Amino acid sequence: MKTLLRNCIYQGKNLIREFGFSFWCLIYPVILATFFYLAFNGMMDIELEDINIGIEKGNRIESILEEIKILNIHKVSQAEVQEKLNNGEIHGFIDSDLNLMVKESGINQTIIKEVIEQIKQMERLNKPIENYDFEADHILDRNQEANLMVIIFYSLVAMVSTYGIFGGITVVSVIQANLSHIGVRLNVTPLKKHEFLIAGVIVGLALNLFANGILFIFIKYVLKLELLNEFKYSSIFIILGNLFGTALGMFIGASNRKSENAKITMAVVIVLFFSLLSGMMGPNIKVVLDKNIPILGRINPISIISNNLYRLNLLGSTRTVREGTLILSLYSILFIFLSYLFLRRRDYDSI
Amino acid sequence: MTVYKYFIKMALRNKWLILSNTLLFFFFAIINTSGHIQEEMSFIETKLNIGIIDNSNSPLSNSLKDYLESKNNIIDVSPEEEIIREQIFLQIVDAVVVIPEEFEEKVVSKEKVIEVYRDDRKAESIQIEHQIEKFLLFANATHEEGKFDLNAVKSALSEKVNVNMIRDGSRGIDKGTNEWFRYYFNFTAYVTIACYISVIGLVMADFNEYNIENRRKISSKRFLRFNKELYLGQLSLAGIITFIFILGSIIIKGKYIREINFNIYLVNTIVFSFSILCLTFLINNITRNKFVTNCLSVVLSLGTSFISGVMVPQQFLGDKVLTLAKFFPTYYFVRINDMQTSSLLGVKNDIFMQLLFGLAFLLVGLYLSKTAQEV
Repeated sequence: MKTLLRNCIYQGKNLIREFGFSFWCLIYPVILATFFYLAFNGMMDIELEDINIGIEKGNRIESILEEIKILNIHKVSQAEVQEKLNNGEIHGFIDSDLNLMVKESGINQTIIKEVIEQIKQMERLNKPIENYDFEADHILDRNQEANLMVIIFYSLVAMVSTYGIFGGITVVSVIQANLSHIGVRLNVTPLKKHEFLIAGVIVGLALNLFANGILFIFIKYVLKLELLNEFKYSSIFIILGNLFGTALGMFIGASNRKSENAKITMAVVIVLFFSLLSGMMGPNIKVVLDKNIPILGRINPISIISNNLYRLNLLGSTRTVREGTLILSLYSILFIFLSYLFLRRRDYDSI
Repeated sequence: MTVYKYFIKMALRNKWLILSNTLLFFFFAIINTSGHIQEEMSFIETKLNIGIIDNSNSPLSNSLKDYLESKNNIIDVSPEEEIIREQIFLQIVDAVVVIPEEFEEKVVSKEKVIEVYRDDRKAESIQIEHQIEKFLLFANATHEEGKFDLNAVKSALSEKVNVNMIRDGSRGIDKGTNEWFRYYFNFTAYVTIACYISVIGLVMADFNEYNIENRRKISSKRFLRFNKELYLGQLSLAGIITFIFILGSIIIKGKYIREINFNIYLVNTIVFSFSILCLTFLINNITRNKFVTNCLSVVLSLGTSFISGVMVPQQFLGDKVLTLAKFFPTYYFVRINDMQTSSLLGVKNDIFMQLLFGLAFLLVGLYLSKTAQEV
């Protein structure tokens, strides 16, 4: 226990002093979160805007249009129509014969069209006005906010939670005599490799969890975004993400003889690719993939974490928690087992 | 030309970096811009993506379904509420309409009967509400002797209004094509910055290495000639990278080039490339550390892209963000692409701003280079 603690302290100091770790695990996520916030904040707070309609003075449907809450009526002369449409002051202009003039197609223009059509359609239905009950409301409202952009933040959190991958690579590289000087020393001393390895995993996990904590504090208190409303399952997924990242890092570190830099590049590419598929660079990619290859979202570790995070925190749904934790745990066990197979009984003829 | 030759040779050692950035760019360009080309000759009604779950299967519910199907795109949805909510959240559907079993009775008694899952903050929610309420208003208006006259309702709903679209000269027929090119060239800003700073930066870090520099100092190669060849190497490499991106647009959508003002995109991209090359020159004179160069490449490419309107159109960005973006050439590059003007004169100010930035980067870089030599 004492040796483990000592190993943890030394490896922890080592990792903290490394500028690469500080940048990729601590600074880079904060920078990315800031950029995401600057770019997407305006798109996350949607407000229902009024539709501006231009009509000529004395238009017979003026009083009907005024009754509709979402419509803003502007009195426009024929000479001004083109100018007002071009500069976006009005979305459409209705003439006295109930023809519509617009500059472009869109949802607002379609709504105006449907409103005018209703007036014409009522004339065609030819029923007395008392047959129509305009006060009747047949809709049971089930509001659900749409917020595709927030997926980017959850993907970022998911990606960062797997950054234990760097610690995993470092610790495995350090104990291999053909890859590091410390590895050479370690192999000729009676020190136990597995203690060093366990300490490395603990340090990697702890420091990355600490880095995740910094990111969450930054997102919550600086960017003022509430990403984590549900704590229990969310933290399980973040811890599992860390465990998966560290296990994958150990596997990458142990499975080949490339330099540590090459392994880190490999790790960055793998994590970035998984994050890209989970929607970090644009949520539309996730939507397209979910539609066409739904299995991908269920096996991609970053997608498992980000999907569960938004389901838990924004939709209050726990339906995929069990499946997600099971798959992530299986991945972690598999990679740790494979790393063990690669590392056990490794001898060197000459070091 | 030994220096030039070795510069190119060392740059090609980083071919995987160029290739991965280029592939990533084309992957995004194709995914994000697919389906953007759509000629707008006349007014096109906006169709919503909706799901309908009909538990009633009555004549009235079938008639409502037919009407909604004629006005919208129908998406298959699960009856599970959690999945419905997730589909709304992810904007896979704009609304989900759930029709209950005792539909007709409740419509006649004017009760709240149809469950509509939607986002109240969006105009789409108004549209679907209007369509449903209009249909039921008409159905109730025809309800006599316990029956709805659904044929009369259907006939009335087929009545349309005329919609005329005005043209303002610059936009209209080629709007969709312009949109594709705008998106594509805006995205080149990100990849140009990432490629230039990382690839040229890494090669220059090798040339600026302490031992190499000392060897160069005692060699017979004149400093001016050495630098000339280095700059020529940088220019060649930058030219090749930019050429690949321009060529990409021609290969993917070459047949539409005549419909847009391709010259503006071309000039804008070349001027922007020059400005970023100067920025790379400045960075190379600030740091020799490869790790710092890599970090700057990631931060500057992503950062300026996010705040200048590459990832998200400038109209959605806040005023403060745009004010900050004005301190980088990317802002002016994106602004020109977004303007979609027909003449180069219309964008001369933004071109000038990019050149000015390039010149400023170059001058500061030269000053730092001179200072470093004196030390």
